[in-house]
Amino acid sequence: MVLLAIALVVLAFVTVTIGMPVKPGIDFSGGTAVTVITPDTSDQIRAVFAGYPLVSISEGLNNGKFITFGTMDDTKYQSLTALISSKYPDARVDQVGESFGKTLQDQAFIAIILAFIGMAIVVFVAFRTFIPSCAVVLSAFADMVMTAAMMNVIGIPLSLGTTAALLMLIGYSVDSDILLTTRVLKRQGKLNDKLSGAFHTGIIMTSTTLAAVTVLLVVSWIGQIQVVEEISAVLLIGLIFDILNTWLTNVGILKWYVLKGGGK
Amino acid sequence: MKQERIKDLFKDWRVLTLIILLVLSVVAIYPHFDNKGNLTTNLQYGLDLQQGAWLQLEFQAEVVGYSTTEPVNSFVTNLSKTLDTDVIVVDTNHLEIRKYYTQEQLESYFEAEGGKVISYQPGVSKDTATLVKRILEQKINTMGTKDAKVNTLTGVNNVARYVRVEMAGVDMNEAQQIVGKQGKFEIRILTTGNESEHVLYGDTITSVQVPTKDTSGNWGVGFTLSDAGAATFRDAAIKYGATVDPDHHQLAMILDNKTVYSAPLSSNLASSLQSEPTRNMVASTGTGTAGQTQATNLEIHLRAGALPVDVKIAGSGSTSASLGSHYMTMCLIAFILALIAVAFVIFYRYREPRIVLPMVLINASEIVILLGFISVIKFQMDLPTIAGLIAVLGTGIDQLVVITDEILHEGIVPSPNIYLKRLARALTIIVIAAATVLIAMLPLALMDLSTLKGFAIITMMGVLVGVIVTRPAYGKIIMEILSE
Repeated sequence: MVLLAIALVVLAFVTVTIGMPVKPGIDFSGGTAVTVITPDTSDQIRAVFAGYPLVSISEGLNNGKFITFGTMDDTKYQSLTALISSKYPDARVDQVGESFGKTLQDQAFIAIILAFIGMAIVVFVAFRTFIPSCAVVLSAFADMVMTAAMMNVIGIPLSLGTTAALLMLIGYSVDSDILLTTRVLKRQGKLNDKLSGAFHTGIIMTSTTLAAVTVLLVVSWIGQIQVVEEISAVLLIGLIFDILNTWLTNVGILKWYVLKGGGK
Repeated sequence: MKQERIKDLFKDWRVLTLIILLVLSVVAIYPHFDNKGNLTTNLQYGLDLQQGAWLQLEFQAEVVGYSTTEPVNSFVTNLSKTLDTDVIVVDTNHLEIRKYYTQEQLESYFEAEGGKVISYQPGVSKDTATLVKRILEQKINTMGTKDAKVNTLTGVNNVARYVRVEMAGVDMNEAQQIVGKQGKFEIRILTTGNESEHVLYGDTITSVQVPTKDTSGNWGVGFTLSDAGAATFRDAAIKYGATVDPDHHQLAMILDNKTVYSAPLSSNLASSLQSEPTRNMVASTGTGTAGQTQATNLEIHLRAGALPVDVKIAGSGSTSASLGSHYMTMCLIAFILALIAVAFVIFYRYREPRIVLPMVLINASEIVILLGFISVIKFQMDLPTIAGLIAVLGTGIDQLVVITDEILHEGIVPSPNIYLKRLARALTIIVIAAATVLIAMLPLALMDLSTLKGFAIITMMGVLVGVIVTRPAYGKIIMEILSE
């Protein structure tokens, strides 16, 4: 609960300062990103692109560089791509215009909201009891909010890839909550036995996904695959928060509900 | 396990479906050695994983819903004049304005001409989008680019705002040049025999209209010449005798040194050219569907590769050959390592190879079936899709854990009856969880959020394959193994 409050405060603060709950990447704000493997230092790269609106250069392993530029007009952009193909022919370039970015951003927000509402409907239809359903939805909501806040803290921008990751999180974070709720409400036996049984299964479920995602994160970090790195980082953060939210928040509410006499 | 039981297992329809699907998938993926001896498959890779470039172009035009008290024809003509651009009637209530204006600007212009703006959407009509697509495809084809795709992104309201061009094997600079390049258009007149003389270049054509049908059913494309162009045209027509003997001095239209149209001057035009120059002309192409097709092609040719609507680069990207193959290797490594990591976690939990092995195999088979599906629909795999596939790996095994634990609950060997009850309960959990993932991905699959659409579709497919095919089969297999 405290964590959720902190997360909400972080998001509110960021929303007030930049107008969006998470700092948008170039997919949404517009701009150009260049991935290149080169032994050139950051300063040398800065010198090469002196005439262009260079925003940042981040370095990875194996001489990988990830360079971002702000928005520029078509002619400027064409001269930039010409420069890149002569100077760094092996580069990867991604560019998004400002208005296109805005369109993408609007659609991404709608997608996240629709996905969340859809998930809530499925949960309510599946359990048909108010409080346990609320607990599941609240736990998924907390996952998203905390993950988004964490993205701000460690500086992962909201991009098409991370939007996809957040959406996946909506789907996957409810997995363990559904397991928990089904076990507690539909199985016979002592409450604490059911809880510990569900925890036993649930924690393995999350660990397998964590294992796959961690591998993905490490490999994409070494290999300088920016998109995949961001996706897996977001999933990793989300899954860790999911463990907290499912086994503290959700269990807490469910236990209270059953002891109050709501269960069988 | 006894021979007989294994036989029974293979007769079970759940297991059979899984095996049949697996075989079909391997056939679809079709791993084989190409003539250079490299291992290749039928899988197609997006521009993330191979050399290529993409451009997303935004139309500088809008489709406006309107109403007017004036006669439609004169209203449109006047509007076209004040707006200084082509105004196309889309249907009875909608106009396409082929130049960028804000809604406020248009509202005041419409009001001045006696009309009202009812709705405003940036983009072009479906027909115009199709025309743009054809022009771009033709341009790219003449450049001989081996693998190119042009897609217009049309929304639910039939208004297309963007067109996306993907070209394999070129870099960003080349891509921009190909898309921006215009063809050389020329009009010539036949003089004697097969000889012809130059009359005009494409730059004197100031506008090209959409194909129309006249009262006698003849299709044709109207175009307008500049004043200077019209004068040159008249002089040439008189000089080479096209006005007095049109049939022996045909006009030829040539695009990039290829004749795309030739016809004599009509008798009306020939006699009017004797007295004065004409700016507006119609190239007629005959009746019926053949005439219509030819007219549509001629419209593209007359434009010489110029698009009917201005476009702005809304987004673009390119990947070099070396980075593409680097990504590919990395993805493959990530994939194998992820599978090993998952297997390790499972082994740590159950410490029982008889459980772990089927789990990992089922998990891997899910991925194979998905890849088979990807090959069949010729979906181009890109980086987000691969990330999605690896996430499917992690969550797919989750659900196998749910099944196993549910069955193992309260002592190992359950009787078939209890077993089925437990499996059903496990499947309820899985179905609910799957439904939430499906619902969460649905908005993405329906929206045109550039590359994420494919990712969402693949994730949804992964969930469906899991719930319908692999998990029930796993339930059957694990029961046989445990009840041994």
